[in-house]
Amino acid sequence: MEKDSNSAAPGWNPSSLMQSNELHCAPQQLPNSYFSANWDNSMDQSDPFESALSSMVSSPAASNAVGATAFPGGEGGGDMIREVIGRLGSICNSGDISSLSYNNSTNNSCYSTPLNSSPPTKLNLSMVDPQMRGNLPVPAPSSHPTLAPFAADPGFVERAARFSSFGNFGGGLNGQFNLNEAELAYRSMLKLDSGKLSRASSNQSLRSQMGGVQESSIKSSSPQDGNAIPDKKFSRFSRSSTPENGELGDSREGSSVSEQIPAGDLSVKAENASNSRKRKTVPRGKAKETSSSPSVKNGKAVTEEQPNAKRSKTDEASGNEKETQKSNKEPNGGSKATKDSSEPVEPPKDYIHVRARRGQATDSHSLAERVRREKISERMKFLQDLVPGCNKVTGKAVMLDEIINYVQSLQRQVEFLSMKLSTVNPRMDLNMEALLSKEILQSQGALQNALYQLDSAVPVSFPFGYQPQQLPALHSNGISNETETQFPVTLNASLTQNSTMQSPAFDRFGGANLQAPQFFEDDLQSMIQMGFGQIEQQSLHGSGASAQMKVEH
Amino acid sequence: MNSRSLLLSPNPNSLKSRFTKGLLRALSRINKHRQQPRSSREIRKRHRLIKAAAYGSMASSVGNRRAWSRALLWKIRNQTRRGYAATRNIGSSTRQLSMKKRICDLQKGNNSKNRVEVGGLGQVDKLRRLVPGGQVMHTCSLLEETAHYMKCLATQVKVMTRIVEVYNIP
Repeated sequence: MEKDSNSAAPGWNPSSLMQSNELHCAPQQLPNSYFSANWDNSMDQSDPFESALSSMVSSPAASNAVGATAFPGGEGGGDMIREVIGRLGSICNSGDISSLSYNNSTNNSCYSTPLNSSPPTKLNLSMVDPQMRGNLPVPAPSSHPTLAPFAADPGFVERAARFSSFGNFGGGLNGQFNLNEAELAYRSMLKLDSGKLSRASSNQSLRSQMGGVQESSIKSSSPQDGNAIPDKKFSRFSRSSTPENGELGDSREGSSVSEQIPAGDLSVKAENASNSRKRKTVPRGKAKETSSSPSVKNGKAVTEEQPNAKRSKTDEASGNEKETQKSNKEPNGGSKATKDSSEPVEPPKDYIHVRARRGQATDSHSLAERVRREKISERMKFLQDLVPGCNKVTGKAVMLDEIINYVQSLQRQVEFLSMKLSTVNPRMDLNMEALLSKEILQSQGALQNALYQLDSAVPVSFPFGYQPQQLPALHSNGISNETETQFPVTLNASLTQNSTMQSPAFDRFGGANLQAPQFFEDDLQSMIQMGFGQIEQQSLHGSGASAQMKVEH
Repeated sequence: MNSRSLLLSPNPNSLKSRFTKGLLRALSRINKHRQQPRSSREIRKRHRLIKAAAYGSMASSVGNRRAWSRALLWKIRNQTRRGYAATRNIGSSTRQLSMKKRICDLQKGNNSKNRVEVGGLGQVDKLRRLVPGGQVMHTCSLLEETAHYMKCLATQVKVMTRIVEVYNIP
């Protein structure tokens, strides 16, 4: 179907939107295209979208990746993520709509039936998504019954998680993404083609991992997989790698989706989404999901089911923390394969989803603290790169000391330099300003180093006025430097006005020059050099100083 | 005589270029009306002005993207608006009140949630004092702001040394 075309994400979005609902489709079109564009490049996370929405998926992934990569950079990434997430919601909706209307993608076969059964509902849900972002929990609950079919898919959960994580990644959307939105996004994703989506979005490595894990997990206990994989996906979410979702989703969806159609799944999915968000408390979703999947598949899952069921109940009572707990517990209690595959991939260092490692506390508070610690340590590492000579420093305390010292020294340097600048009164005409700016921006490292050595020198009176005496002589020599013609004139004009010392400064100037080579503009230096023809061209200082010295004497 | 068209650098939009332009403009403004400062008071005043110009132009070139630049701009604007004394004693300005409130909340939040993860020996507090606007930030955002602030400070120092060189100040 056209929707499935990878490149047609923007194209089909509008069409699908139009078909589905007039409510929010239109405004979403633009974001969708933007979203898809962003996602294409970046991450595998966009797997879910890549399905029939493959284009959609790819774009979300790209945006996701962009957001993820931009994270260290700061605000930019966050903004992008928010945008992406917003768009994502719309895309999900459109995806839903498209899938509903078209019922195509082969991958959706398992879902197509339920989809067909309630297309209008889904449409409504998808429509609601964009709105939900800001506000409303109401539509989501209503959609639960219809969305039940979709909720079952674990890939759906991961998608929802991804969505939420995207939002969290930006750091600003937590409030916006409530359960409903995530759920809806999930559902739309699910409908579209959970299998495809998960496949597409996942990273290569993760995919392989997931595949392996999937196989083993599926054989061992499908419910576990269902639970574990979404968890893994959640953890990877911010990291921009949701390969697991893709792979697992595909394999499992066929079997599990059809089975997991209870209405509760939907809430479970929502809960998963909220897990990743870690802000909103959607206890029901995760708990139910975990419980539902195990219930569907037995085997090892049985043991997991019970804890899951219990957890689900507790989740409903508790909230986010429980969700993360559950998600964290699942890898712990899940199959070794899943665990191993997840272990190499460290939980993302964002505050969207934290997965407790084996043997670590799964308390919600400790999880939150761990996330904070990881964030802080990440920032400290970044700072370590910035501060010169701090590669070997380890430990936060020492590093902080270094940082504080460095900032203090920089501030002191600024103060010192401003004091120096305040002692002189250089006349700066417009032309000089431009010339100076050019000069400054073309500064070379050697000059600065030399200057730093001079900082300790006793500041002598500014010999700026000294120059004009030399300039007329130089100028009359017929120097043909094109820039110098302007500069000397200006300099002369400005300098003659200057009342700074003239002849008395000669000796001092010479002395100063010897100790502190004068870094004059290239123009002037070239002038001097040409005028006297004795000074070799140098990048700023030595020649000027020597030339002046000669002139002086 | 029109050398305005001189290219500034490989990247005319870089932080360094913007800062240089702003600083030079401010310096020319400061130096326009004054003769060579003789009295120490005058020199001190000019020193303050130049320092404010340096930080102000740096914050302007960063814009409103960073919390520290916003805080710095706000502080400098207050400084120029109410005089130098105002910066020392902001008193009961609404912003100060709101900031104090934020500080209290932040500290409370920190105490309850953060459990001294990055406590050290009061280093984080020192850092808060150093970075403009750092009093009301959470620790992790404080570190992020510190990184950007450090980068801008280094640029500032480089450009100012360059200016000093150009002026041949020994």
